[in-house]
Amino acid sequence: MEIRHGLISADSHCGFDRDAFTSRMQASKWGERIPQVIEVEHESKKVHRWAVYEKPRGDNVGNCPVLMGDPFPTYPQRWEEVSNKGYDPHERLKALDTDGIDAEVLFPNPPGGTFYEFNDADFELDVVRAYNDSLAAWTTVSDRYMPVTIIPYLSDPLIIRGEIERVTAAGHRGINLQGQAPAPLPHLTDPYWDPIWDVCQALGVPVHFHGSAGVRAGMSTRFWSGYSERQGHSAMTSTSAVTPAQIIPQLIFSGITERFPALKFVFAEAGIGGLNYILAACDHEWEVRRLWTEGISKRPSETVRRQMFTNFWFETEGIKLRHEIGIDNLMWESDFPHVASFYPRSWESVEHVLEDIPTEDRRKLLYENAIKVYGIDASPRQVEREEARA
Amino acid sequence: MTFAHGLISVDDHIQEPPNLWTDRLSKKQFGDRIPRLEQDSDGTEHWVVDGQRLLSGDASAAGALMPNRNQEPQQWAEIPAAAYLPTERLKAMDTEGVDYSVLYPTVAGLAGEAFGRLEDPELELACVRAYNDWLLEEWAAASDRFVPQCIVPIWPVEATIAEMQRAVGNGHRGIVFPALPMHLRDVPHVSGPEYDPVWSACAELGVPVSLHAGASPQLQYPAFPGLSPALIGAVDAVTKPVSSVFVLSLLSFSRVLLRHPNLRLVMAESALSWGMLYMEWADHQFEHDGLAREGYDLKPSEMFQRQCYFTSWFDNVAPFVGHVGEDHILWSTNFPLATSTWPRTQETVERCFRGVTPETREKILWKNAASLYGI
Repeated sequence: MEIRHGLISADSHCGFDRDAFTSRMQASKWGERIPQVIEVEHESKKVHRWAVYEKPRGDNVGNCPVLMGDPFPTYPQRWEEVSNKGYDPHERLKALDTDGIDAEVLFPNPPGGTFYEFNDADFELDVVRAYNDSLAAWTTVSDRYMPVTIIPYLSDPLIIRGEIERVTAAGHRGINLQGQAPAPLPHLTDPYWDPIWDVCQALGVPVHFHGSAGVRAGMSTRFWSGYSERQGHSAMTSTSAVTPAQIIPQLIFSGITERFPALKFVFAEAGIGGLNYILAACDHEWEVRRLWTEGISKRPSETVRRQMFTNFWFETEGIKLRHEIGIDNLMWESDFPHVASFYPRSWESVEHVLEDIPTEDRRKLLYENAIKVYGIDASPRQVEREEARA
Repeated sequence: MTFAHGLISVDDHIQEPPNLWTDRLSKKQFGDRIPRLEQDSDGTEHWVVDGQRLLSGDASAAGALMPNRNQEPQQWAEIPAAAYLPTERLKAMDTEGVDYSVLYPTVAGLAGEAFGRLEDPELELACVRAYNDWLLEEWAAASDRFVPQCIVPIWPVEATIAEMQRAVGNGHRGIVFPALPMHLRDVPHVSGPEYDPVWSACAELGVPVSLHAGASPQLQYPAFPGLSPALIGAVDAVTKPVSSVFVLSLLSFSRVLLRHPNLRLVMAESALSWGMLYMEWADHQFEHDGLAREGYDLKPSEMFQRQCYFTSWFDNVAPFVGHVGEDHILWSTNFPLATSTWPRTQETVERCFRGVTPETREKILWKNAASLYGI
């Protein structure tokens, strides 16, 4: 992969063309249950929605406000309004160049990355495969796309393991997990899930958790009848940065990081201060409770620095803590095309947030750490901006 | 006011004695629903109220004082006296270099939430009043180094207001409010107009409202039950302060802080990272979601800077002085919970305050608390 802009987004959101699933799933077997765009009535208007298992999802047909051409956030209601810069991998390359980004890690966007709620393991497995295949196809368009795999939770962990192996071979760069395993499945840190940790460690692909995704704890505070849609969204996303603090102590104190010391974990849309808290709080509990006597041999902050990575993009205060946290553990993200993204002016924000930060640190934060975490073959490396700065 | 040490701990817990409620509540009216210590066939003891077990079946939450910190007392006899005797507590405070201690309950809920779960508001009120009276008579009267805070019934709001007025009138210096009462039983949402009279009354009384982490288990990610108690304790301790972010987000975006500008909120057991993190994230979202167009006079960080305090006991202070604000940070020992800095409070303070100026250090260690609690 050519590093030309000197910026890798460790968290962007992909898109799906409306035939992404219908062209990959057996119509004779699944019929209308296949994810597809349908027309429904909403406030006496005919609108489009993604439907999965014949159930319409969400209150829009695409989550791409920064591509809507209006600085005040709006969301497409008709498929014609959805910009193909989100879902067409050829068109999207133009958006990447507009924003000055070399490569991006791809997380879900409508119709979403969860298909377990219908309690139909066969359906889930097929739709997950279609999702993963659809994004594997992006990597044949360009090596600038780095999709993360979603998994069929309802299937046996050995089948899940097989799916991870299959799509990693096809170009996927990591897996994306829900913060809490969907009920009634075993707890995230139950040894039941060991085949997943094991295969990811063996393949060298990081395990990702995205801000808020699948963490039920705290969810209730985001819904209040008095909120407008935008207020509810702000209330929700303002808290998504706590996700690593909900999950990392589980991974460390359950002994998973002891058993899988080479496994990497990435926290997308997670923020910097949260990691600072985790280092201090986990070390404090490890010390006062003498947890080395309970099988947790390493000081948690050492484990975090060895195995955990978190993303940032706008935190001007947080970035001052980069050395306390670990300069090798932070990666820039754009969150494109979601509302929190600075697209098409990501570089303005980069220059603002990283003002006065030495070049060596900047390189790590903007692309070198991502190159290491994802094992990117990054050559040639000719960063025009750095040459201009020099 | 005399200062020997220069530390006000704004978050410590007292252990209620077995006769607190049995002596003060009408046996005739409430029978065996009264909170009491009950013995199991194996000799262990646990607290019950109205058939509900409290404290996860432990006799206390005093891990820091136990020979093995990961083993909570299983009967009254195992509870160290510094947990429940004011005279012994004062000695422990002197050992640790603590001048004043702001008090929270244990059996009544570490965040004052336990009686909010009772379905009978009369029993709830009776339990709350007994606690509030007892704390003044047994602790506040024993020494002015104890700063008493009342607990409240969560509903109806007339009872909430009447009890906080009565308690503060009698000498309580703060109000411990379980942040999200609708998580405890079926009462209206805390952000709605139903609770506005409560916030108004708090502001009029001029004492801070303490929202202690852990009031709602719904805000916490439970540990894998297959782990040892020590490891479950560690997961719980780290995931607990996270709840302060959810609570603060709710109270700012739902405009409770805007509607009640004189309300002062202490996010007890919150840790400092969350103050900074919340303000940066909430302001970012506020801006990107275009909320200035939706009738907010202040950004989330401005609401925080006007009305909120974060407390810590273990994390480094220096990085947060600028952004959270030296006037909005308070210190504690969290005595005698397992997570407490006991018996290394002074050593921990030295580590945490490295690189902090003497003036700022004084504000965080006692001046902010002295002015907030009127010490």
